[in-house]
Amino acid sequence: MSIRRSIRNRRMRRTIHKDFDLQLTSMMDILVIILVFLLKSYSASTNSFSTVAGIQLPLSKSQSLPSDSLHLLVTPDAILFEGKKVVEFGPAVYQFKADDLAEENRLVVKLLDVLTRKRTEIENMKVKSVLRDEKGNPLAFHAVIAIQADKSVRYDVLRKIMYTAGVADFRIFRLLAARQEM
Amino acid sequence: MLKRPSSRRHSTPQQIQINLVPMLDALVTMISFLMYTMAFMSLTMIDSPLPTVSKEENRVLLEGRPLQLTLSFQENGFRLWSPFQKIEESLIPKKPDGTPDHLKLHEKLLVVKQAYPSEEKIVLMPEATTSYDSIIRVLDAVRFLEKTDPPVTLRDPKSGTRRLVSTLFPEAVFGNLLGGTD
Repeated sequence: MSIRRSIRNRRMRRTIHKDFDLQLTSMMDILVIILVFLLKSYSASTNSFSTVAGIQLPLSKSQSLPSDSLHLLVTPDAILFEGKKVVEFGPAVYQFKADDLAEENRLVVKLLDVLTRKRTEIENMKVKSVLRDEKGNPLAFHAVIAIQADKSVRYDVLRKIMYTAGVADFRIFRLLAARQEM
Repeated sequence: MLKRPSSRRHSTPQQIQINLVPMLDALVTMISFLMYTMAFMSLTMIDSPLPTVSKEENRVLLEGRPLQLTLSFQENGFRLWSPFQKIEESLIPKKPDGTPDHLKLHEKLLVVKQAYPSEEKIVLMPEATTSYDSIIRVLDAVRFLEKTDPPVTLRDPKSGTRRLVSTLFPEAVFGNLLGGTD
């Protein structure tokens, strides 16, 4: 009995293999449609700005794609420079600790240290680099700092950050926002 | 002897099957790559330069008694003024629901732009409590000309022809960044 069942099973298996033909055409159609959609909405940009959860960017009508620059991210708990935490807020969100501030509460000391160090590092790299301008001088460092923050962040927080960046000789502030579809 | 019947006429039509599997593989790989590298939220930027720090530069600039269009953020609305009284000071009150009236502000700025089409700068003076969202909205209102706006033309001094101006006041500077306290 069992031998007979085994033979029948084997036959059935063979027949399934012979007749089974997966219809790939419709799947191909779906994949091509997805691919076309992705290619259409794919925006190629040179920046590598990352964000963190819980940050809602303001919307802007500006159409300029942000080019790569040093990145400063203001989260409710801390300020991140190039992905590394440099200043921690406390006791409340977006509130600087008294020890972190100087010059009549306008300057963020830890941030100034990091920005100055980074600036010096880049300038040294430019001096050592073989790339030169027409006069043979090292290429100029474009002191641009991109600031990304939640839309609820108050100007007094941003002003302290921008003032500190200004003291560290960063001359352009690049305010980041989410692009509003027109 | 009879001629052998033509095999062409009697042959059964053979089904040609394209092997779709490698094509499917390629599509799946491409879709995965695009989804991995795609930015689902497109960022945009607004550049703002650091205000001039040098006293000498400021003195030379102010000697020419420029327009120096200034926008102060106030509790009751916006105040648009010029330190040299080049324009009549105007207050743009908030809407009845308490939100800033960006549309009225844009209209006022358009009138100023028509009077001074070559002017590109505006000084922003936000309050300490102004949110980042409000700043970005104001920057949008002061920097761009809408499609529905009446055309603003500027006379080219060399050729004598008039050309269309595409922006309102694109160079926005935070005037109270270096001075003032909370």
